[in-house]
Amino acid sequence: MKKYFVITTLVVIIASLSSCNKWVDNNPHDAYVVTDLDYLKSESDYRTMEVSVYTPLQWLNQVVPIGEIASDNAVSGGETASDVLDLQQIDDYTLTPVNGTLTDLWKSAYEGINRANYMTKYKVTNLAGDKVDFAGKEALYGEVYFLRAYYYFTLVKMFGDVPLFTDRRLALADNKKLSRSPKADVYKQIELDLTNAIAVLPAVQTEKGRITKYAAEAMLGKVYLYEKKYDLAAAMLENVITSNVFTLVPNFGSIFLATGENGPESVFEIQYTNTSPYYNWGGVTRGQGNYAVQQCGIRSLNGGSAMPYAAGWSTNLPTQDLAKAYSAGDTRKAITVLDIEAYKTANPSLGITYQVAPYKNTGLYNQKYLPRKGETSGQVELNYLNNFRIIRYSDVLLMAAEANNKASAANDTKAQNYVSLVRRRAFGDVLHDVTSTGTTLYQTILDERRLELAMEGDRFFDLVRTGQAKAKLTGFVTGKHEVFPIPQTEIDVSGLTQNPNY
Amino acid sequence: MKLKVRLLCIGIFLCGLLFQVAAQTNIVVTGKVRNKTTGEALVGASVINEKTHKSTVTNENGEFRISVEKGATLTVSFVGMTSTKYKVTESSEISIQLEEEIKKTEEVIVIGYGTQKRSKVSGAVSTVKGADIEKLKPVRTEEALQGTASGVTVIQTGSPGSKPTILIRGIASNSGNAPLVIIDGVQQTQDDLNSISPADIESISVLKDAAMTAIYGSKGGNGVIVVTTKGGRKNLKTEIALNSFYGNQSVIKKVGVLNATEYAAMVNEGSATSGGPIIFNNLSKIGVGTNWQDQVFKDATTQNHGITVRGGSDKMTYFLSGNYMSQGGVVGGDDKSFFNRGNFTSNLNFDLSSKLKFLVNTSAVMLSTKTVSENAFNSILGSALNFDPTVPVLNTTGTVGQYGYSTLLLSEVFNPLTKLANTYNQNKGTKFYGKFELQYDAIKNLKLTTRFGYQKYDDNSKSFDPLVFYGLNNVDNSMNADGSTVIGKHNSVANNKNSNFNWTYEAFANYIYKLKEDHHFEAVVGFSLAKTSGNAAGASRQDVPYNSWTFADNTAATGVNSATNSNAQTGYYYEYFNKNTSTFGRLNYDFKDRYLVSYNLRRDGSNLFGANNKFGTFSAISLGWVVSKESFFNSKLIDLLKVRGSSGTIGNDQSAAAYYTQIVTGGPSYGSTANSNGYNFNNIFYPGSTVGTLRNDNVSWESDKQTNIGFDLVLLKSKVSITFDYYKKNANGLLFVPSISGYEGTVPAPSANVGSTETKGIDLQITYNQPIGKNFSLNNTFTFTTQDNKVISTNDDGTAKMYGGSYFNGQSQTVTVFEKGKAPGYFYGYKTAGLFQNAAAVLAAPAQAGAQPGDIRFVDVNGDGKIDANDKTKIGNPFPKFIAGWNLSMNYKDFDFSAFFYASVGNDIYRAYERNANYTNKFRSVLGRWTGEGTTNEATNPRYSFTDANNNARVSDRYVEDGSFVKLKNVQLGYTFNGKTINKIFQKLRVYAQVKNAFTITKYTGFDPEISGGLMETGIDRGSYPQARTVAFGLDIKF
Repeated sequence: MKKYFVITTLVVIIASLSSCNKWVDNNPHDAYVVTDLDYLKSESDYRTMEVSVYTPLQWLNQVVPIGEIASDNAVSGGETASDVLDLQQIDDYTLTPVNGTLTDLWKSAYEGINRANYMTKYKVTNLAGDKVDFAGKEALYGEVYFLRAYYYFTLVKMFGDVPLFTDRRLALADNKKLSRSPKADVYKQIELDLTNAIAVLPAVQTEKGRITKYAAEAMLGKVYLYEKKYDLAAAMLENVITSNVFTLVPNFGSIFLATGENGPESVFEIQYTNTSPYYNWGGVTRGQGNYAVQQCGIRSLNGGSAMPYAAGWSTNLPTQDLAKAYSAGDTRKAITVLDIEAYKTANPSLGITYQVAPYKNTGLYNQKYLPRKGETSGQVELNYLNNFRIIRYSDVLLMAAEANNKASAANDTKAQNYVSLVRRRAFGDVLHDVTSTGTTLYQTILDERRLELAMEGDRFFDLVRTGQAKAKLTGFVTGKHEVFPIPQTEIDVSGLTQNPNY
Repeated sequence: MKLKVRLLCIGIFLCGLLFQVAAQTNIVVTGKVRNKTTGEALVGASVINEKTHKSTVTNENGEFRISVEKGATLTVSFVGMTSTKYKVTESSEISIQLEEEIKKTEEVIVIGYGTQKRSKVSGAVSTVKGADIEKLKPVRTEEALQGTASGVTVIQTGSPGSKPTILIRGIASNSGNAPLVIIDGVQQTQDDLNSISPADIESISVLKDAAMTAIYGSKGGNGVIVVTTKGGRKNLKTEIALNSFYGNQSVIKKVGVLNATEYAAMVNEGSATSGGPIIFNNLSKIGVGTNWQDQVFKDATTQNHGITVRGGSDKMTYFLSGNYMSQGGVVGGDDKSFFNRGNFTSNLNFDLSSKLKFLVNTSAVMLSTKTVSENAFNSILGSALNFDPTVPVLNTTGTVGQYGYSTLLLSEVFNPLTKLANTYNQNKGTKFYGKFELQYDAIKNLKLTTRFGYQKYDDNSKSFDPLVFYGLNNVDNSMNADGSTVIGKHNSVANNKNSNFNWTYEAFANYIYKLKEDHHFEAVVGFSLAKTSGNAAGASRQDVPYNSWTFADNTAATGVNSATNSNAQTGYYYEYFNKNTSTFGRLNYDFKDRYLVSYNLRRDGSNLFGANNKFGTFSAISLGWVVSKESFFNSKLIDLLKVRGSSGTIGNDQSAAAYYTQIVTGGPSYGSTANSNGYNFNNIFYPGSTVGTLRNDNVSWESDKQTNIGFDLVLLKSKVSITFDYYKKNANGLLFVPSISGYEGTVPAPSANVGSTETKGIDLQITYNQPIGKNFSLNNTFTFTTQDNKVISTNDDGTAKMYGGSYFNGQSQTVTVFEKGKAPGYFYGYKTAGLFQNAAAVLAAPAQAGAQPGDIRFVDVNGDGKIDANDKTKIGNPFPKFIAGWNLSMNYKDFDFSAFFYASVGNDIYRAYERNANYTNKFRSVLGRWTGEGTTNEATNPRYSFTDANNNARVSDRYVEDGSFVKLKNVQLGYTFNGKTINKIFQKLRVYAQVKNAFTITKYTGFDPEISGGLMETGIDRGSYPQARTVAFGLDIKF
């Protein structure tokens, strides 16, 4: 009798145990969660996920001001020496590996890469092993390849050697496992991605702002220039020019107005909009608005209703050096820098009042991206609509000029012609056409790049790639400042090596 | 043959009896038997004639009647009492008083899945008896543990019915330190202690060390509170008890603020020193103005009325109880905040057969609460402290609004009476809980138990935000001075519903085995399945008709969403669940009651954890040695000496993390890493999708390694008993977000089990009972508890920190931090070193931006020559170094007296209720401010100015005060009526007067130094609800 009870009890317990494992399983569907296994099962899933590969482009927002502040074009400005400290240190060449802005850019670019990688990994079959084919899938992946290339290009031009991976989105298991790949390998990958993108991308996208074949070609041309592969660059950029799809907008200033976005000169723009009011101060660049616009505004600016500008924080102020670089009659000067005092004097009817920039005042403001009334929404500081004009047709012309000038079979005539096209618009005449050749022409092209593209984020990177940084920039140390420091957390946490001399 | 002999014997015996009866003349004795100490009539006491063995029992009034021969001796006895003898000399009415037996029946305590004799316990456990709980008349059960159970820290709050902070042996975890609560074997939580009537509690055991809690595995890490409710008794005639008390609550202390004239003078000074105009031109006309604390504090009532009925027959027992409790709030009075509770409990036991028992416990609870906004600078109390004192109570300006308004304070802080008048909310809950249990005595010493415990809770709450006019030009107005609505503003009502159902099914076997008399084994083996589940839904809607609470409901509100207003109608719904399965066992062994060994084991599985760690095993062993039972031990002084030790690992599963890779779709993210989605093409927004969480298959529970060493000592014929324990607790695997490589991108990293803490301390309890003379007895219980907590690590590079204690004084501040190397939840800020007396001192000091003479000199802690955020350091700790309780009770004849003192020493308080705006009221310390070189060097009293370039208001030790206190938590005087007529009707009739929170001795300048709030919020006084002094009168009746 005794035995039976003991045995029965044990059997009951053991029987219950065997069902226990199932009892505590976690099925995400019980919590109505869509997991990776559920996703990428339709064309719509693929297309929706692809949209978010674009998203981190917006987060790279500060690359543009940094490209200017680090150069002779602009100073950091701000309220005090301790305001926008990250930018101050970049401006003053006192920068250290502890820089929140650089760290955020690093993470943002890698988020873009991880998103692109996730798409490419499941291109043929999704995680569940199904094939989802649809018309336009290849072209869609052209955009993904371009974006991954763009993210890697941003990283490599800022940091040099960086961890390179393309086969997957990193998982928790990959934490702290990667090391830096040589710059050359990263460039190789960028070229590959862009080449693949060009092969499948359409010439025209119905949704303006999507990557086109020409954007990819222009980008690849730019990458070749950075690699000093001038012959390849010349050929690639020629594709864009000979397509005759793009034209220089007659009125230079109109490019930077809201109405000028995605216009006939636009090859690639990072899209921002004020239609999604956003308010997260914990991630100022993560909405749909352009944060850099608010940054460069004039402090406490007030004026009559006819005055177009809105107030801001006086960072990223153009230098007098830049203003002086424009020769008389160059219409680009007034479009690029706003001399607020002169503007105020010239327009007494506007009743302008403002606070003089309290730190590193130059008297000048970044007119191309100055905040304008009515162009933001919600949390007004975070939602300016201004797209970043990343590659304009004039940039393509100037790059092509440079490539032709430096090509193994140099074609200075072509180069002169391209530069002259740009200058004719600037001056409204042919009197300023370029006639020089050889190295003089080369320098002319580089100077023209500064004038044409000032405040658009290229200057510092141009100076570095053309070896002129040391000569032009106070505080610049050769062998150190060509790249920014790898974020300290990546040294501490991930065990990456630091760039030299940081 | 045998039968014949027997019959013969019986026959002879009967004959003998007859002879005796014939020979003697009998007399009739009547009498009453009572308990000598309490005077209670004893029902069912037996009265036996020693010689004839003829007997009777006392009736419901304790009376008996017996016919005996003259000179016979009667023995009167009752369970638990010393028998007494009475020699009958004549026919009379006699009164017999029985004394309670001094020889203690062995105390049995309730532990996990069983009971254990106190003498055989080798783990650490504190117990509180029902009688002591009843005496305290607590609103919530936790109150009864404060200072009475050593090792338990309870920090109460004054808000009616709200949950106190309870820590059993310190703070081990960053994710939750609340103990597990077991009510009659069924798992509940600390939240559920609000719904049990203290009158129903038979006993509480607080299980403290690994040996005691390991049988609760992954839920036992923070200690376990085991509540056992009352039951009936077999063959007990129905016993009815009525308990009732009614009391008045009032606020003990008010905070010193400026009167109107002083305020006006300070405002003038503040404005002038910052280069502004004089605000009040004629100070002489201002007078004392209004002290808003006097206006918002209102006496409130508290009352409790209960009836319990218990009894039983041969086959079943019952305990029935009904209780109504109500506590009003002293902020705004009974109408504005209260906690009301109705309880109905029936505990029934049936003997289905001689071997099978069926137990049903059922409790129904109704809860009803209203609250006022609390513990913020703009709460009712915060407003009362900070509002403009020059404002008259009533509005005489001809605008809408009953109460006066400030023309200077135009935002955030309003007339607290206006706020009170516009506070509308209610919450009504119902709860059913209980168990069905079968106990089967399968064979001798083997008992099988199977039990289904459940809890069903539903609540329904509503809050209404009316349109309010706060005063002319007030920026927060939603109503204009003429009563019209401010354009774009709406009133709104929110209805919310919660519903949850939890159950636990358990089956276990208890087996007792004895080997050769000296080896005793007790074993438990069992398993359990549990599920908690619930859902919540809510809806809010704007535009309630007539701006009135009467119509405040979604059904009546008329708001409709439009392109410009997406908040007119909102709603939400979510559900959740959580499943566990466990197997557990315990083996207790002792040799000759002298050497004790106990081994506990539990294996737990939970759906909350990662695929690689679904199951965890927890175990503990404890050893005990009853030294006083050894033959060599020979002491007249010491009755019992037992040394104990235990060690083991238990878990804490109070938090969980992601175990799947989620795809999120949408737009911007407002999460910690702002991992946004979507993009726009030419200004048209397209939602996007991406991986939103990373998977961590290893995520698991925290594991607490605990060791305990202690002893029990009983001295002087049980007059003194001492229990001492030293413990150490190492919690590992605390959940923190690990440091993550930047190249992983911005998907939020899941938490991982990476943090650890260490806690150590001592628990001490001493009881001392002394009868003095015949009628007087004295009982004392002292408890002493210390805890020393330290965070050993968070994530691998120590960057993971938790911040808390946020408050606003013109700047958003946080005060508390949970970080590596420091005490959990300590205060973090600048240290001060007096005031700058002159410009030279400012120049000589480390660079401190904006400093002027009269400003606070902050300490350059890191010595880098400048004062900046790197100089922030430890400025206090909200948790006490030790707490102590002294429970004193005395009995003299029919009087009983008890008092309970509670002390908390070393707990710091951060004074965060000072809003510090230009026109908010100031506190009396400002009168001692710096007004010139040499006036004062107290960092608490810097110069006063509207502008504060030095940021004197930053988080610093200026606001830290020593919150140590001694409170007389409870004092009670009772009288039990004894008299012929009374004793005929009542078994017991007692009246008493009680004062709760009679007085507090403290240096703290705020309302109350006891400020509850869990790990990160304890000790932050933003105008915390003070505990009221309650004066109550009560009545205990037993039939």
